[in-house]
Amino acid sequence: MRRFYPLLRVFGALLIGFSLCLLIPLVLSWAVDDGAHGAFDVAFASALLCGLALFFGLYRENREMKVRDGFLLVVLVWTVLPLFACLPLYLHLDISFTDAYFEATSGLTATGSTVLSGLDKLPLSLNFWRTFMHWLGGMGVVVLAVAILPLLGVGGRQLFKTEVPGPMKEASLTPRIAETAKGLWRVYLILTAGCGVTLWLLGMEPWDALMHAFSTLGLGGFSTKDASLGHFASLQIEMAVIFFALLSGLNYATHFLALNGRSIKPYLRDPEAPYFLGVLGLSILALTLYLLALGVFDSFGSALRYVAFHSISLATSLGLATADYGQWPFFAQIWMLFLGSFIACSGSTGGGIKMIRAMILYKQVYRELICAMHPSVVRPVRIRGNVIPQHVLSGVMAFGFIYMVSIVSLTLLMTSTGLDIVTAFSAVVATLNNTGPGLNLVGPATTFAILSDFQTWICTFAMILGRLEFFTLLVVLTPAFWRK
Amino acid sequence: MSRFYPLLRVFGVLLMGFALAMLAPLLLSWVWQDGAATAYDEAFLLSFGAGFILWWAVRHEKHELKVRDGFLMVVMVWTLLPAFACLPLLFHLNISFTDAYFEAVSGLTTTGATVLANLDTLPPSLNLWRGMLVWLGGMGLIVLAVAILPLLGVGGRQMFKAETPGPMKDSQLTPRMTQTAKGLWVVYAAITLACAISYHLAGMDWFDAVMHAFTTMGLGGFSSHDASFGHWDSPTIEMVAIVFMLIAGMNFATHFLAVHGRSLKPYRRDPEVGGFLLVTVGSVFGIALYLWALDTYPDFATALRFSAFNVVSIATTTGYANTDYNLWPIFAPLWMLFLCSFATSAGSTGGGMKMIRAMILYKQVYRELISAMHPNVIWPVKVGGKPVASSILSGVMAFGFLYMVSIVTLTLLMTYSGLEIVSAFSAVVASINNTGPGLNQVGPATTFEVLTDFQTWICTFAMLLGRLEIFTLLVVLTPAFWRT
Repeated sequence: MRRFYPLLRVFGALLIGFSLCLLIPLVLSWAVDDGAHGAFDVAFASALLCGLALFFGLYRENREMKVRDGFLLVVLVWTVLPLFACLPLYLHLDISFTDAYFEATSGLTATGSTVLSGLDKLPLSLNFWRTFMHWLGGMGVVVLAVAILPLLGVGGRQLFKTEVPGPMKEASLTPRIAETAKGLWRVYLILTAGCGVTLWLLGMEPWDALMHAFSTLGLGGFSTKDASLGHFASLQIEMAVIFFALLSGLNYATHFLALNGRSIKPYLRDPEAPYFLGVLGLSILALTLYLLALGVFDSFGSALRYVAFHSISLATSLGLATADYGQWPFFAQIWMLFLGSFIACSGSTGGGIKMIRAMILYKQVYRELICAMHPSVVRPVRIRGNVIPQHVLSGVMAFGFIYMVSIVSLTLLMTSTGLDIVTAFSAVVATLNNTGPGLNLVGPATTFAILSDFQTWICTFAMILGRLEFFTLLVVLTPAFWRK
Repeated sequence: MSRFYPLLRVFGVLLMGFALAMLAPLLLSWVWQDGAATAYDEAFLLSFGAGFILWWAVRHEKHELKVRDGFLMVVMVWTLLPAFACLPLLFHLNISFTDAYFEAVSGLTTTGATVLANLDTLPPSLNLWRGMLVWLGGMGLIVLAVAILPLLGVGGRQMFKAETPGPMKDSQLTPRMTQTAKGLWVVYAAITLACAISYHLAGMDWFDAVMHAFTTMGLGGFSSHDASFGHWDSPTIEMVAIVFMLIAGMNFATHFLAVHGRSLKPYRRDPEVGGFLLVTVGSVFGIALYLWALDTYPDFATALRFSAFNVVSIATTTGYANTDYNLWPIFAPLWMLFLCSFATSAGSTGGGMKMIRAMILYKQVYRELISAMHPNVIWPVKVGGKPVASSILSGVMAFGFLYMVSIVTLTLLMTYSGLEIVSAFSAVVASINNTGPGLNQVGPATTFEVLTDFQTWICTFAMLLGRLEIFTLLVVLTPAFWRT
């Protein structure tokens, strides 16, 4: 147990920081007097006290953390922080702990599935907190994806070790994270500010603009309206959201390099960007024609508008909606869910297996085909001319396999509790990819509140599993991790 | 083109041999006067003629076949033979070529999905032909799985090279095939005979006993009754079927060794037998308990009877049914479909990705978890105590991935053509695993006749893809195969 003390100390510090984040909605709640401040008081106090207790209780345990501790720290962050984050919802609203924890996890993993309805009537501070969780989660995800996972070597992530800003050869965790985080968060902040101001200029109320900017940049998908973005019914707002969702679906390390060098070259060198945009563009065009041919829309313009928005929203794992696409022909819905499973770039706030892994998987499978024909041929897998080493390849293959097995087993588990296949499958895919809304009973026009407690916990598990890229969570769940 | 002449010559001979097999139903049709005789006349003449012309045209091209030619040979056998095998159905019944070809492919790939209704009133010789297709397909399969695919190195199959009876070091195709085939076919024929006799003793008439012995040993699942095994409603017959389905789901190379050595040891040494029986029997009891708990059946014994028969039938990819399990709670049939994707052994007549690959995938993923924790650890993947080479590991990983991608892609295509998701998904899974019946519209109580031509062709393609273990077919479809 002692070996975890330094880690718990760091977690304590993190928790103190997190409690300070709770201060913002707390003050907001006082200022606008929306009646929710009592709940925030309790949440703030308990997070702060637990954090202080951990930090000062273990104050002397300031040894440097090992890389291996990173697994547990990451898991603690995404499982224990929601515990405190859900308190305001749990205390103020009439919902079960299961639902509150689900909502908080959905916030901090930037998923955007919700169990709440009547969002328009929710206290301002609560809506602020929900979207703020997305934003904080997004900050965590960016650092996780760019700095921590490559170090942990999760599912072939070590591939990116050399492409990350910050000190490279460093084997200890904290300095590296701190260094990288600063650079990335500056970019994240700038983009958020840009998005917020744009939405405000396009006619949103200032608070709505801010909250939707949080939601968009974190690629979360919580909205302050039941009708989601459809509430505003404004083409300009949709286009702004599309623009910033696309930016957030790109690698933040690339944004950082571009901003630092004042040049767009990093985008051209990014191996994922052209496929991210290319696949999306083609899908949008094809789906538009498909829906037009089936007579769902009567003009190309409106078909393109709705298809573009929802394809991008679901593919980047954002999850905002402007229409009930649950009414569209089934193929269109399932295709958009399918896109969400692989299209986002690796250093983004998006979910799924990430574009780079999809590219490697494709090339590796093609190589196996060639090898079957010519057993002695040497044909390395390359991305942008760089040869991918064998251990990265097998990490990526294992990742792809575990991803699919997770979908299958969680879907089976959901159906065993009596849910229909479409709902079960889409709920699992939407949460595992951190997209948000699924289909059928958990579609864009409904919420996850209809799920039983057991089913809700499965979805909660899926969100964390997907967000932590499977390996991180599964490693901590193996007995071998806890030995010695 | 001339490099394919020797191959065409061999295929010509094969086609003539196949045509001779048509003489059996032809003869029986004469004897029974069931009115289908003329259909076989023409089909026989066409097939034999085509085979003879092919052989005659290239009869002087008798260089030995290369290993690479094996890919094309295998693909030709499973795509061209059905074109001739479907002729009797096409001539005698009022069905389209699409449906007839589907039915013949379903037979020769030992799938058992049917487009024909009113099987009970079909001329007996046609039912016999359907059964024979499955049995012949099974013969082809055993040789394919035990002798050819390991040589072609498809999806990690090379690991069985050393365990196969017959001359090992030989890199030429024909002698190896004939040598292996002889031994295995004797075992196959002997078990079929035992199966037919057991069916007869259990209460079937001789015709049904032989026909069902054919489809049981091929793990095909064609029946001569619309109600399949529900027709007899006899637990004894079902027990017999369960035993022989389980036998056919094991590696025939193991049966061969056991018969040769007059010992049970080969079964204990077979790494797959344990997993196969454990998973299948465990599921039988699990599903029985589930159905009993949900009150689908009033008592446990009845639940066990129906669970045992249908679970074993689907898990071994046979596809018989003794009740409409489509009416069970959706989890049960979904679990059965899941089982059939991996339960059967590598050298059996079953479909899916095979137990050995599932075991390797599981161990490989576990190894990745361990090496994420300890990056420098050496942890070889072992099966049956022997470490698996890394080229085989990556072959198996690629296979597993391609398998799942095929399911996703084909399901998307099916929904694109307007089918609802459960029918689309289950039709694809049931076809690619060579199981037979799916769910909903293509469930055990209905046929694949409801599908449109386009959808039928997708299923035909899926059956071939699954049967040829994906790589064999895809290799031939790559442009690189046809170059030089």
